[in-house]
Amino acid sequence: MNNPFFIENRPGKKGILLGNEAIARGILEAGVIIGAGYPGTPSSEILTTLADMQRYYTHLKLEWSVNEKVGFEVAYGGSMSNVRSVACMKHVGVNVASDAFMTACYAGARGGMVLVSADDPNCYSSQNEQDNRFFGPHALVPVFEPSTPQEAKDLIKYAFDFSELYQTLVLFRTTTRLNHGRGDVVLGEIKKINREYGFDWDRSRWVCLPSHSRVLRIRLLERMEDISDFADEFPFNSLKIAKERINGIRYGLVAAGVPYAHLMDALNYFGIKDEVSILKLGMVYPVPRKLISKFFNSVDEVLVIEELEPFLEDILKKIAYEEGLSGEFKIHGKDYFPQNGELPAELYLENIAKWIGLSYEKVSIPHDLMIIPPRLPILCPGCSHRATFYAIKQVEKKMKTKFVNSSDIGCYTLAVYKPLEGLDTEVCMGGSIGLANGISKIQSKDNPVLAILGDSTFFHSGIPALINAVYNENNILIIILDNRSTSMTGFQDNPGTGVKITKEPGIRVILEDLVKGCGVPGENIWVEDSNNLTKLIEKLEEAINAKGVRVFISRHTCSLVETKQFKAQKIQPPLVKINQDKCVGCLICVNKFGCPALIFDEEHKKANIDQTFCRGCKVCIDVCPQEAIYEERD
Amino acid sequence: MEIEDYNHKVFSYLLVGVGGQGVIRAIQILSWAALREGFKVRTAETHGMAQRGGSVASYLRFCKDVEGPLIPRGKADIILAFETSEAVRSFTYAGPNTFFFINNKLIVPPMIHQMRREYPKNDEIRKFLKNVSQYIYFINAEELAENVGNSRTMNVVMLGVLMGAEKIPIKKQTLEEAILQFVPKNAQDINKNAFQIGIDNGKSIMRELHE
Repeated sequence: MNNPFFIENRPGKKGILLGNEAIARGILEAGVIIGAGYPGTPSSEILTTLADMQRYYTHLKLEWSVNEKVGFEVAYGGSMSNVRSVACMKHVGVNVASDAFMTACYAGARGGMVLVSADDPNCYSSQNEQDNRFFGPHALVPVFEPSTPQEAKDLIKYAFDFSELYQTLVLFRTTTRLNHGRGDVVLGEIKKINREYGFDWDRSRWVCLPSHSRVLRIRLLERMEDISDFADEFPFNSLKIAKERINGIRYGLVAAGVPYAHLMDALNYFGIKDEVSILKLGMVYPVPRKLISKFFNSVDEVLVIEELEPFLEDILKKIAYEEGLSGEFKIHGKDYFPQNGELPAELYLENIAKWIGLSYEKVSIPHDLMIIPPRLPILCPGCSHRATFYAIKQVEKKMKTKFVNSSDIGCYTLAVYKPLEGLDTEVCMGGSIGLANGISKIQSKDNPVLAILGDSTFFHSGIPALINAVYNENNILIIILDNRSTSMTGFQDNPGTGVKITKEPGIRVILEDLVKGCGVPGENIWVEDSNNLTKLIEKLEEAINAKGVRVFISRHTCSLVETKQFKAQKIQPPLVKINQDKCVGCLICVNKFGCPALIFDEEHKKANIDQTFCRGCKVCIDVCPQEAIYEERD
Repeated sequence: MEIEDYNHKVFSYLLVGVGGQGVIRAIQILSWAALREGFKVRTAETHGMAQRGGSVASYLRFCKDVEGPLIPRGKADIILAFETSEAVRSFTYAGPNTFFFINNKLIVPPMIHQMRREYPKNDEIRKFLKNVSQYIYFINAEELAENVGNSRTMNVVMLGVLMGAEKIPIKKQTLEEAILQFVPKNAQDINKNAFQIGIDNGKSIMRELHE
C-alpha cells in the first residue's frame, strides 16, 4: 500500500479523504502544534490521523488526554503559550470539557484555538443526539460548520487565522456523515508559523477571578459584536438571490453543514437551483444580519433545513420579528422536517416538492415485506467482558438475589443484550460509579450494588466517584473491566497501557496502586484474569459478600488486540473443540454464554465451534457442565 | 454503461455487508477510481461498530456535480451486497431498474439463537429479492475468491463483477490500479486474479441478460 495521501506536501494535489482526515489535514496546514482530546465516535480519526502525520511533521505535539476536559485544557494551555492548538472530541465530550470551555471563552485565545465537536444525529454510536450549535449562544463563541470534506479542510484552516484575529476560540461543529464520509479534496499549503512561543504572564487575562471575569465578560460581548458584524463578509457564508420565481412565488432556502450538501443535490434533482434563493452558512453562530435582511427582502417564503433542533429557524424568526416582518411572512423548518434523527436524502426531495408544489413520487414500501431480525453489534468472540458478565450472573444466581449493575460507556455496554443482560444503567462516562453511590444509599442489603466500567472509562472520570464512595462510605463493589485498550473507538491506548498516541512508550499507571491510593484498603482489592472463569466466579462471590468500598479488577487484553499480538509474535492461539460424544445439546454455551464462535448444529442437536471465529480464549471450557469442550494439544 | 445525460447523472452505489467483510475497503477503491476518471465523489460509511459484527452500509455517489453522500431511497443504481440478508435490508434503496449483485452467502447473526428468533433461509431471501427488482444476480464470490487463493478477496471479486457487467463508468485499468493501491504488496497477484474472475462473471451475467 502507498503512503496515505494526507501526508503529502504537495499543494494542489487532489485525492480522496475521509472527513476526519480532511480535518486533520486542515489542522496540519494551519500550522497547529498541539492537538489533544479523548477518543469518541465519530471524532477519533482526527487525532489518530494527526498521529500518523507526526512521523513526517515532527513539530506536532499530540496526546490522548485522560478525558475531554483535560484534553481541552492541554490545548488551551498551548493557546496561552501562543501556539496554535486544537482539541477534538465527540459531542458529549464537549459536556465534559465545558467547565473549562465556558470560562476559556471569556479569556479568549492567544495562539489560534479550535474545539472540534463531532455531533451524532441518529445516535449511531452515542447515548444522545445533543445539538452542540447551542454552545455558540451559551458560551458566546463563534460556531463553524462545514458541509463537505473539502470545506472541512479549508474551514478549519481558516478557523485558526480567525481565532487569532479576534482572539476568540472557535467551536468547529461536524456531524457523523461529514466525519465518516469521503470526498475529493485538493491539498493546500502547509503553513510554517514563525513566531515566539511561550507563556504570557498576563494575570488580568488568565486568572479568571470575579474582578477579572467581570471585565473579561465585557470584552467577550464586544468581541461577539465584532464577529457578528464580520459575519456578513465571512468567506464561507454565501447568499444567492434568484431572479426567477416559481409559480409567482420567490422561494428562499437556508442550510448549513451536511444538510446544505443534500439540499444542493435535491435542487439539482428538480433542476431548480437557479430558481430559488439560497442562504448558505459556514458560520452558524453568530449569523450574518445584513445578509439575512437582504435575503428576507428578496423572498416571499423561507424553509430552513437543519438536523436536530430548530437552531437557525429560531434565530431567523427572531430576526424577522426585529425587522418588523408580519406574521404573513412564513419561515418554515420543523413543520416540514423532524427534530429527531438524521435527515434521510429522500426527505429533502419529498419535502421540497411538497413545499414548492413539484411532483415527486414517494417511494412505496411493498406490503409483503420480508422481516429480518436486526443484526445487532455484539461482544466479539473471545471478548473478556463476556466472561466477567457471565461470572457476575453465576454469582447472582447462586446468591438467589438480584444485583443492581450500574454500568458505563464502552464495548461492554453491549452486554445489555441477550443472553448476558448484565447491566441496568448507562448514562455517561464514569457515571456507573457515581450512580452506584446514590443507588447504594437506598437499596437494601439484599441487592448488592455493582458499578461496572472499563479501564479507560475509569481513568476518564471514574476516579473522583470512587474517592467519593470511599469518603462517604457508600457500600459498593466497583468492577473494572481492564482490557488494556479503548476498544470501542478503535483500540486507542490509555494510561493503563502506558503507550502514547504516537506509539512511543510513556509511563504506565498501575490500576491497583491507583485504587489503593484513592483509599480502598488492600483487602478490598481483587485482581483476577477475566478468562479464568472458575476462579473469577469464586473471587467475585468473595468480593460481593465483603463490606465497604471494594474494587475488583477483571483483567484480560481485548481479544481483538490479543489476536493481533499473537499474529505479530507468530503465536498459534489454543485450538478449542467440542467432543461430540460428550455434548448433550443443552445449549448452555450457545444460549447462556453466547460467544459468536459457538454454534448449534440443528441436524445433530449438538454444539460446535466455528474455528473461523474462535480466538482460543478457552472460557467456554469452564462454561460447559458436561466437560465436553476441551483444548486440543498436539 | 449507457447514460442519457452523462454530465448530470449521479451514479449511486450502495454497498452493504457485515462488519469485517471489506465494505469500506471496496468503497475506498471505488472512490479513488471515480476520482481518477474526473468525477466529484462523496461517500458515507459505517465506522466504529463495524468490527463488532453489525450491519454495515456504505453509500457512494459520484457525478460531475454532487454534494451530499446519502442516496435517496429508491434511487440506488447498484446495490452491491456482500451478504444475502443485508441485500434484503437495503432493498428500500432500490427502484425497478436497480441492479443487485449479491455475494451468495448468508451469515446468520449469533444473536438469533439467543433471541430464539427465526432467520430467513437463503432460498427464501433469493425468492423475495426477485420480487423487488428483475435484476437480481447472485455470485458465489467467496468461493471464487477462495479459488484464486484467499477468500478475503471476495470484495475485489465483487468489484470485478461490477466492471464485467459494465455497471460502472470507470475504465478497467483505472479500477485495477485503484485496487492495487489499497492491497498489500505481497497480495497484488491474488487481487488481480480475483478482479479478473469477477470480470468474467460479470460478463457472463450480462450475456445471459441480453440473450
